[in-house]
Amino acid sequence: MDFKTSPLMYILAAGVIVFVIVQSVFFIVKAWKRGRELGIESEKMKQTVISSVLFTIAPAISILATVLALASALGIVLPWIRLSVIGNLAYETVAAESALSALGSSLANEVTDKQQFSTIAWTMTIGSCFPLVLLPIFCKRIHKAMNKVTSKSATANALGGILGTAAFLGIVAAFISRSIAGVPSDGPAAGVMSVATLLSSMIFTIALDWLCRKKGVKKLEPFVLPIAMFGAMGIAVLLTQILPPEIAGLTWR
Amino acid sequence: MNKNKSFTDKMHFWGSVWSISALAVLYCVPLIFSLYYNVFPQFSVLLKALAAVIPIYWGTAIVEVITYTPMLGAGGTYLSFVTGNIANLKLPCAMNAMNRADVKATSEEGEVISTIAIGASAITTTVIIAVGVLAFLPVIPYITAEGSVIKPAFEFVIPALFGALGASYFAKYWKLSILPILIGVIVYIFVPSLPVGTMLFVTIVVSLLGALGMYKLKWIKE
Repeated sequence: MDFKTSPLMYILAAGVIVFVIVQSVFFIVKAWKRGRELGIESEKMKQTVISSVLFTIAPAISILATVLALASALGIVLPWIRLSVIGNLAYETVAAESALSALGSSLANEVTDKQQFSTIAWTMTIGSCFPLVLLPIFCKRIHKAMNKVTSKSATANALGGILGTAAFLGIVAAFISRSIAGVPSDGPAAGVMSVATLLSSMIFTIALDWLCRKKGVKKLEPFVLPIAMFGAMGIAVLLTQILPPEIAGLTWR
Repeated sequence: MNKNKSFTDKMHFWGSVWSISALAVLYCVPLIFSLYYNVFPQFSVLLKALAAVIPIYWGTAIVEVITYTPMLGAGGTYLSFVTGNIANLKLPCAMNAMNRADVKATSEEGEVISTIAIGASAITTTVIIAVGVLAFLPVIPYITAEGSVIKPAFEFVIPALFGALGASYFAKYWKLSILPILIGVIVYIFVPSLPVGTMLFVTIVVSLLGALGMYKLKWIKE
């Protein structure tokens, strides 16, 4: 039997998955109870759950695809465990590559030696777990410091709100500018398709938002983002089918 | 536990407990494997591998904790850092939920909504990966294979996600949005394959400085 997909590995995966789910349920229950005390309608919290689940489906499937990318060298179970907790493709690939290069091998070959495999698993774990060491020490202090600054005055609070939004817009800007002009490590370079997908999802969102606000279709609100996202992904499929390959395949990087 | 403690304090307490438990669970994976098969890595080899990994990852970890913690709320922070994929999934999910529910990130209502959103997202991701690995393993290669009809849908998840998210934010905060996108595009023109992790740092700093400048010049109010 291949040790990479042995029952032991599946038991370890099950343990990690149960842990992640129990932890998430724990926090949701705590937040839900607090939400009720604060007078947030249950309907609003339910909509948050539905909207977040729908929102997550497509990115989760693309994470699943990265599990497969690593599976040929490492077997399916270790990448599965690693991408369920903390990991992402770039992260785990680099960790596995560094471990293998220290052993004089590479990810292009299937790992068949238990000691190599154990070195990879240790490298991935030690490399990626640092945030979990930092959080218990610093998370509360960062939040306290922030509250102290923003509660000083109304203007400080307003500025805090603006900077929070600006930081988030910075994140959005990084991914959008990559779709316009960058070369992602895990996908096609910026070109006709990436910009067309970007624009269609923007147009879908604006149209759906208009329906919600101006036409009063309030029930649509939690679904705006998931619908726009799936719609734009549909457009990507459609354009690849109907556009001549030289246009659909056009990239400028 | 003391009943007078605030909700946020309780979240921090439980968050620390769960973070430390997560560390234990994570280390169990290589530890149990090594004990079961009695194969531990050679110390010198492990050290060499870690020497390449730690400076980047631990450095990134510090930057990520400082950047994301203020934006996620207490419960959301602890949950996000256990399950990962923060910038491309958990944070957008929480921001969208708070935006749609019309609550402020800094308020306790924001804390509640963001925690529920991230928890739901974490469970969904974990279940989809697990079901995908166990049930659809033979089918997935066909979905994402070269030449598959729906492959483009998954190749362009990122523009689809951030286009949709961006559109509702740009409409509200167009003044704040122009500068970071412009700088991002310019940097990519010169360094096309810059890792997005590095770009995030650039655009966040530019966006913060821009916002601060516009606030001082009174171009933007709340």
